[in-house]
Amino acid sequence: MNTYKFFGSRNSGAKNWYLQRISGIILVIVLIGHYVLMHATPDSGHTYKAVMERLHSPFWKGIDLTFVTLGLWHGLNGTWNVIRDYHLKPWVANTIYVLMILLGLTFWFIGLNTILSF
Amino acid sequence: MANQTATSFFSRWLEVLFNYRKHTGSWAWILHRITGLGLTIYIMVHIIALTGLLKGEAAFNEEMALFTSPVFLFGEWLLGALVMFHSLNGVRIALVDFGNGARYHKQILAFVYVLGVLMVAGMAYLIFLH
Repeated sequence: MNTYKFFGSRNSGAKNWYLQRISGIILVIVLIGHYVLMHATPDSGHTYKAVMERLHSPFWKGIDLTFVTLGLWHGLNGTWNVIRDYHLKPWVANTIYVLMILLGLTFWFIGLNTILSF
Repeated sequence: MANQTATSFFSRWLEVLFNYRKHTGSWAWILHRITGLGLTIYIMVHIIALTGLLKGEAAFNEEMALFTSPVFLFGEWLLGALVMFHSLNGVRIALVDFGNGARYHKQILAFVYVLGVLMVAGMAYLIFLH
């Protein structure tokens, strides 16, 4: 009788699969508001004064933080899903994974810095 | 050497992409990843662009003048098309995974394409003619 030992990752990716869908649904809802506010009515949405007014309100800060966090996570997790579909050597995949986490954290902090400066 | 490996990887990728038999959902799958990768790059560019807010009103207005130039407006429309497909197809994926969407995913995809084209045409009106 053969015995098999599983050498792969213990992480099946199920949590990421689930969170990818949840974050996607939230992003679609926030995106509708974002489009109506910023793109359909560019004059009221994009002036410095209007942006400052929003950035000084905790509600909009919360929306913006949600948007940046979920958007980056959803995008980078999706990119990781694409990369995982290819048969890469473990060290290549691990390097890309670490670089993507660093990239995500860098842009997350840049976004956070912009939102929380006001 | 490394370059050659990358080339063979890419040609193998193209070979698989073009030879693989594509059913209805395959194109949605391909478009969903391409638009998704594009949007991931865009959100990073967007985060960098908004750091202009930290430089004060004059610098911000200067940036906004650039972003409302014709080339950038065309880019905004293109971006809108990417977002539109990715979000409509994303809703389709959620319906298939969480709901009973597997039974009628082809019909949803037809709906995604029709509604998507209409909405992107609507965006063109709002951006260029409004």
